[in-house]
Amino acid sequence: MDRLTPRVRVVQVLSVTALLLAWEGVARAGWVDPLFVPAPSAVLRAFGRIGGAALAGLGDTLLKTAIAYVLAVVIGVGGGILLGSVRPLRQAVNPFVIALYGMPKILVLPWIVLFLGFGATPAVVYATIHGVFPILVLVTGAVRDVDRTLVTVARAFGARRWQLYWKVVLPAIVPTVLAGMRLGVVFCLLGVLVVEMFAGVRGMGYVLSSLANGFRAPELFAATALVSAASIVIVLSLDVLNDRLSQWRGEPR
Amino acid sequence: MKVLAIRVAIVVALLGAWEIVGRTANPLLYVPPSAAVPALGRLLARDSYPDLAEHLLLTLREILVAYALAIVAGLGCGFALGFNRLVGRAYGPILAALYAVPAVVWYPSLMLFFGLDAASKIAFGFLLGFFPITLAVLAGIRQVSPQMLVVARAFGADGLTAFRKVTLPAMLFTLVGGLRTGLALTVIGVIVGEILGSKSGMGSLINHAYGLFRTADYIALVVVTLVLIVGSDALASAVEHRAQRWTD
Repeated sequence: MDRLTPRVRVVQVLSVTALLLAWEGVARAGWVDPLFVPAPSAVLRAFGRIGGAALAGLGDTLLKTAIAYVLAVVIGVGGGILLGSVRPLRQAVNPFVIALYGMPKILVLPWIVLFLGFGATPAVVYATIHGVFPILVLVTGAVRDVDRTLVTVARAFGARRWQLYWKVVLPAIVPTVLAGMRLGVVFCLLGVLVVEMFAGVRGMGYVLSSLANGFRAPELFAATALVSAASIVIVLSLDVLNDRLSQWRGEPR
Repeated sequence: MKVLAIRVAIVVALLGAWEIVGRTANPLLYVPPSAAVPALGRLLARDSYPDLAEHLLLTLREILVAYALAIVAGLGCGFALGFNRLVGRAYGPILAALYAVPAVVWYPSLMLFFGLDAASKIAFGFLLGFFPITLAVLAGIRQVSPQMLVVARAFGADGLTAFRKVTLPAMLFTLVGGLRTGLALTVIGVIVGEILGSKSGMGSLINHAYGLFRTADYIALVVVTLVLIVGSDALASAVEHRAQRWTD
């Protein structure tokens, strides 16, 4: 904490307040159409109207995200360890993995929906596909780049295969796994929301798109703020966890 | 050589398995390659979708406009935040927090605001491309060594010269990487926007084919869209390599 910090906070608070006040003023003065740009006070009141339904939708979305996230992390870390440690397999498969990572998954979404119909399953599957690739790519690289000397020394001291993985490889890849998990959670949430918007009957994505279709701007803004706040909280708490863990590992920050 | 053979074998095996499964299970749903290839031919011959070119051009135009806006705003915002310590420290974290929000939550609002036509796709593509460019400028500025700047100043370089001779070359690589990511995300943004709701553009054709259960045509449209995406990324990658050579 240096001497800039309090001034930074002041600037942050002041500019957000100024922005909200200016927005409110512009909306009240009638310079913008309230049908499209509602005043912050109207958005605030809209929270009350959509509260219950939006929270239920958010819960639904977060549940699907959590399932997809667990699947993505398990498949991504497992697959990454496999691809990272088996060289021939990695050489054969890695270009495909990279290509699939770069490909916009939205293009296969209609197909997934044709196969799996409407509901929670396509959302979970699509979000898992969305979330698994960054984790898989990062973990593969990390396992491949584990310090050879450490492996050789462990082998020389007679480490068995499981000991090699448990004592050398896993601790070495923890930071990468955490970085992948941080990326993956946003990808999973994004995937669930996209499916809900495209072919949803429940969940926050569906709530958002039906509010937009109904031209209910205040409620739409309130719901958007709610999802945004939820995802910021999730990502920030993963960041805090990450910091804690790297302190515990004794890394310089 | 052997690796290449294995890769080819994997592709052939996948296509073969797809063909067999597709034929035995449900050709309409699985669209085996033997059905997808003729569909691609019909599409390219302007048979299944005669107005393919117009839709493709519209998507390209949306991408170009969105990307141009993202570059201007991203560079402007990035340099404004990067060169002023107080401003950067104040707005950097807000920007990072907004980046943590899955961007698609803004799309319904953009659709409400800009309508179903090109404007909402441009706005969404812009939004997706803007963040990586801004963040790349910020990261690039942090890479510039302050000592070099002091030395340049001591040798009498004015602000602009120091920027051109020291700051820009030092950050160029990061900047170009950000511009490439920005393009990829802009392309995705425009296509996601079109698929989630539009009346024209490649996404609308994909939705049309999907809605009518014309799955073979859908696959063909996806292939054409993929060519567009891969082509734009190849272009960006070529530019990136030129920039890399220039800094070395």
